[in-house]
Amino acid sequence: MRMAMTLAAPTRRRATTLLLLVPLAAYIIFLAFPLLWLTSTSFKRPNEILVLRPTVIPKAPTLENYREVLGPGGVVRASLNTMKVAVASAVLALAIALPAAYALARKQSRLNKAIIGWILVSQSFPSILIIVPLFLILARFSLANSHLGLILVYVVWSLPFVLWILHGFVKGLPNELEEAAAVDGASFPQILFRILMPLLLPGLATTLLYAFVNAWNEFFFALVVLKDPQLMTVQVSLSRFRGLEGLARWGPLAAGSVIATVPAMAAFAFLQRRLVSGLLSGGVKN
Amino acid sequence: MRRIRLLIVALLVVFLAGTGASTAGTAPVRVRFVSLAWQKTAVEAVKEVVTAWNRTNPAIQVDYAQVDWGAIHDYMLTSFQTGNVPDVFHYESIPILDFAKRGFLTDLSPMIPAEMRADIFPGAWQTVLSEGGKIYAVPYLWESLIIIYNKKLFKDAGITPPTIEKPWTWDDLQKAAKTLTKDLNGDGRTDQFGAAMGLRSPVTRVLNLSIAFGGNYFYRQGGRDVVLVGEAERALLSIIMNMMYVDKTLSLDSLGRGSPELIPGFLAGKYAMLPGIGVWARQGLVESAPADFEWGVLPPLKAKTQYQGSATQTLSIPTAAKNKEAAWKFIQFALSRENMAKQALGDWLFPTRQSSIRLSGFTTTKYGWDVSTDSVRFLRMATWQKVLGYNEWRTRLATPLMNELFANRISVDEFARRLAEGSAEILDRYR
Repeated sequence: MRMAMTLAAPTRRRATTLLLLVPLAAYIIFLAFPLLWLTSTSFKRPNEILVLRPTVIPKAPTLENYREVLGPGGVVRASLNTMKVAVASAVLALAIALPAAYALARKQSRLNKAIIGWILVSQSFPSILIIVPLFLILARFSLANSHLGLILVYVVWSLPFVLWILHGFVKGLPNELEEAAAVDGASFPQILFRILMPLLLPGLATTLLYAFVNAWNEFFFALVVLKDPQLMTVQVSLSRFRGLEGLARWGPLAAGSVIATVPAMAAFAFLQRRLVSGLLSGGVKN
Repeated sequence: MRRIRLLIVALLVVFLAGTGASTAGTAPVRVRFVSLAWQKTAVEAVKEVVTAWNRTNPAIQVDYAQVDWGAIHDYMLTSFQTGNVPDVFHYESIPILDFAKRGFLTDLSPMIPAEMRADIFPGAWQTVLSEGGKIYAVPYLWESLIIIYNKKLFKDAGITPPTIEKPWTWDDLQKAAKTLTKDLNGDGRTDQFGAAMGLRSPVTRVLNLSIAFGGNYFYRQGGRDVVLVGEAERALLSIIMNMMYVDKTLSLDSLGRGSPELIPGFLAGKYAMLPGIGVWARQGLVESAPADFEWGVLPPLKAKTQYQGSATQTLSIPTAAKNKEAAWKFIQFALSRENMAKQALGDWLFPTRQSSIRLSGFTTTKYGWDVSTDSVRFLRMATWQKVLGYNEWRTRLATPLMNELFANRISVDEFARRLAEGSAEILDRYR
């Protein structure tokens, strides 16, 4: 009887694991399918794309689409431009948002509450509303048609959300940690960089990733601010393959999109460990 | 120490050489040109023109930039607002008239030479003509709506395609569609439809084709634009409804799809004809069709006439452009007889110059060019093109109503009544 029970338990566990794996696999397929389709299309010629029943695996795979987008004036330069702008704007936004988030989270006052409210409201402004005044300001400081100008635009654009998220993370850190460190004789910079920063890493990674992906995927500001084709970002570069009435040059567009997806995926892969929260567990005794 | 001295001398030499170069030569005038060409061959043609200009005109250098059709309106609006405009830009006649009204564009009429005036089709000039005879854009490309057909399915059904001399009427098309609609496997369901028509954004297409029935939709009454849906306007709507829901010869795939999205079904033999498809869509067919797939182009259908409405693609110079004179010189070069033809062929469209359209590329029988090109003589500027508020009328009123009609949720009568009622409210705001 006891033997039967010990046998039944692992079998049940295996069955439960299997049962959990099925929806998980379905979910992964659901998530991965667009990327799979994109990759498949990037290796197809037009006569395999515009068909009634397209196949996932190309019948006559070609590198022609990649050759075109990697050629002169292709997406490589545009990707490097975007990388420069996205990394700089994400780091800058974080550098501004972190001290501001700390101040807003730790110093409770009516003014701070009003600021938090304003940050939320500012999220609802459509980009078309601010682009003209923003461009005029950039032009006044000779920053229009420059990557620096676009970086500043992206910092301004992502700052409210980054600040809002970081504010939540800082608020979630118990005050007792700082008090305990202060009792042990730590100075404020030591508390900030040695105690709080490591605990804030998941939050910093999340917001950094958000600001990076936001800048990487942005189209409209880049289109308006940058006029020189040499400065073009990857999203603007890819739009060249879009045509009229929903028509596009699907092959090069897919190949360019695959290339454009790689840095964002690499950023996720690099930062994903930091995204796992729970670093706080054990930090404080309840 | 010696090294430092050498470095200073080297830097001085570089500096002096730099300043010498900047004062000795005169920097060329730079003309920023924004193009919307996106098909591979079209982009190549535009780049060829720009390269040829830059090679032969060292004093005026053109910087080519490509913007896509989906973004050009916002791009130009923000450019006008900020003053950071391209010197020459490519767009289409309808929004150009609105930009001109708002003072964003340079009046080109004093600069246009007599030769260009006479050579470009009068109908094409009509599409860009503003009040007072001012011209803010040079029309250089235009298109017609054609019918593409599957030669094998026609042959199998024993149908002789019409010719330029003896075009079909809409009745003829409906009869042929009946013959071509078939249940091939006997399961009681239609496998092959006589036709399919992209009806996702049907308004402009329907309005352009209704001109052949004498239906203009927009009329001037007492100094204002009014919408009237009489017999002439209802004719095409009734034909489409009849083909979809009575004869069942027009595939319901037409609903919610653009014309290019019907090409895979056409190539698979699911639809025998694609009426009302843009002439440029032939490029997609050529790229996608299997080598043994035979297709052709039918001449425009005859109702009262064979006329159809068409807008044009244009080149303009913004008011705020820095180098207008240089920009105009480049426009003249880009729109010469040969260069206009080159760009039109690259885009699978028609040039607006009569001398260009007579070139062999447009008269060949290959890819149905001869029949397609002949349709140019039926192109007219539709009245809706100069109606203020047309865009809002189309998106907010006409499109939802037409979608309801084609989905068979309302009758043609109800469509006509609601369209006439709703139009006044929108158009009066633009008076």
